[in-house]
Amino acid sequence: MHKFEGIAVSPGVAVGEALVMGNEGFRIPRRFVTRDSVEYELDRLDKAIKDSSAEIARSRDAVLKEMGEKYAAIFEAHLQMLQDTRFRSDLEEMIAQRHYSPEYAVSRKVRECAQIFQKVQSRNLGDIFDIEKQLLRKLLGRRREELSKLRSPVLILAHNLTPSETAHLDRRFVRGFATEVGGPGSHTAIVAAGMAIPAVVGTGTFLTEVSGGDLVIIDGDKGLVILRPDEETIAHYRHEAKEHRHLAARLEMLRDLPAETSDGVRIELLGNIEFPYEVDDCVARGADGVGLYRTEFLYLGQEKEPDEEDHFQAYLRVIQTMGDRPVTIRTFDLGADKVPHLPEPEDERNPALGQRSIRLSLRNLPMFRKQLRAILRASVQGDVRIMFPLVSTLLELRQAKMILTDVMEDLTEHKIPFNAKVPVGMMVEVPSVVMMIDHFVEEVDFLSIGTNDLIQYTLAVDRNNKEVVWLYNASEPAVLKLIDVTIRSAARRAVPVNLCGQMSGSPTYTMLLLGMGLRQLGVPPSVIPEIKKICRSVTIDQCEEVARHALTLEHARDVTSYLRGELKKRVPELGP
Amino acid sequence: MDQRKQTRTVTVANHAGLHARAALLIAKLAREHDVALAVVKDSQAAEASSMIQMLSLGAKQGDELVLEASGPRAEEALSALERLFAEKFYEEDEDAESRG
Repeated sequence: MHKFEGIAVSPGVAVGEALVMGNEGFRIPRRFVTRDSVEYELDRLDKAIKDSSAEIARSRDAVLKEMGEKYAAIFEAHLQMLQDTRFRSDLEEMIAQRHYSPEYAVSRKVRECAQIFQKVQSRNLGDIFDIEKQLLRKLLGRRREELSKLRSPVLILAHNLTPSETAHLDRRFVRGFATEVGGPGSHTAIVAAGMAIPAVVGTGTFLTEVSGGDLVIIDGDKGLVILRPDEETIAHYRHEAKEHRHLAARLEMLRDLPAETSDGVRIELLGNIEFPYEVDDCVARGADGVGLYRTEFLYLGQEKEPDEEDHFQAYLRVIQTMGDRPVTIRTFDLGADKVPHLPEPEDERNPALGQRSIRLSLRNLPMFRKQLRAILRASVQGDVRIMFPLVSTLLELRQAKMILTDVMEDLTEHKIPFNAKVPVGMMVEVPSVVMMIDHFVEEVDFLSIGTNDLIQYTLAVDRNNKEVVWLYNASEPAVLKLIDVTIRSAARRAVPVNLCGQMSGSPTYTMLLLGMGLRQLGVPPSVIPEIKKICRSVTIDQCEEVARHALTLEHARDVTSYLRGELKKRVPELGP
Repeated sequence: MDQRKQTRTVTVANHAGLHARAALLIAKLAREHDVALAVVKDSQAAEASSMIQMLSLGAKQGDELVLEASGPRAEEALSALERLFAEKFYEEDEDAESRG
């Protein structure tokens, strides 16, 4: 049994079989073989090694001819590793004595070697994984399962999960995520929250200790990843899972009740979604609307740029499902590296500060206009709103609005219907915007505070850097003050404002946010019941007192413990 | 074949250390001279014929290694290996290419 500590980014507990994502996400179908089949399995191993060797030798010879000895040497090295007698005899022993399947044996043995290579910081670490890939390819043949074709529940373990990788997972079978790197607000965190499954990130290296098929526990409450748990641990967690289900059932009963404080103030709970299908979850949980419809999925992992009709259909699906409830569509929020038809950026050493989101849109007008046209066309189908991400200056906002006006004129000319009064808003996620908030509130119909990025930019901290991720904390007084200033400025102009970062889905902060004046929260649909419960258990006066006190504190950790204490007082079953 | 075991101490001089390509060259020299060769770092020994063992040593630039060769041409083999190490495994332009 092996325990790893990381950052808990999505709550819950999952127990099950690991799917370790190598470069191609191979999945080990079975771990053990029967005694009778040992001979047969040894033959399979032998054949796999022979076939892989032959293939590598062919590649080596081809490369030798075309590119010379230096490049051919890599293949020669792979060949030597594959033919390493000790390596092979260890594999045979695992099959013959321990009855491992060849796939499992290869996986374990490679992990063992990788651990050593890692310890000595060998630059050939990648090569040993390549060997694994080659052998598994030979052993699994056509039965190689891709992530989009899963057939039974798995917990996904990886170094990191990129948007492209998660865009095509078969979500019916994924029960949890654990990644070696990453922090709160990382993509893994967002996807896991959206799927309401546990996730732990930033555990540091553990992939060398686990093979596909191993039993694994992902504890998204305590931030633990447990490999090959012992009986006692398994029993403990099965019990916890049961408790969890009971709580969920109790919260489910709130579904049709409004999110209203006990002194009658209505709070709008809006769902944040990344994919159209999540809108069903919003409806099931009784969301008052979609507060953030992230549109990046249309670009991720695709080979070509989506056309206007792709956009339109994706928006239509969500709008029609929500009926007359509002849907806020955010325009493209990624960098050029994620867009299929754009050239790789040259100088993106700092992607978080680079050419992305609204900046990219303003530099790629055909792409931007396509999206805006589709949103406008969809705007007659329901209560649609448009939101611009990562605005940092007034000029940017005005330029974006100008483009929007231009697209509107175009549609008018072609007699294509759209809502001319479509509400237009923006994300507040860059500190410069907060400094100029009095100006911004004059030019938007609504604001959305994006705390995920706001925290990052305010504290100058990379939320994916495990050395500094301890600084990334929504409780930092500086962050709270920025939120407070924004809400006050918006209130003076009667501009609606909501908050749509992970902070708003965290029960710890609900009273604080309500107390600061927020009446709309954008959360992953899975937490709507919990947040609703808190709203229904407090009065606005209590919340305002909490906010008042919290804003006087100097240290993030004091803020967090104060807020947790208050939560435990009012809603004991949701407290820590 | 302990009677004819010879040893020589060498230093890893190239930037990349004892990586796969270097290990290949060492193994090749040992084969050509028909010797059984072990490479020892501190107290860890690796057979030159096992790529994985060699890479597991994780020998880096500056590390001292003891080469142990057995066979009739052990002396000759060790001299050739000494030269190989001194020539940094013939890695040219290594400062430029090993950046990053």
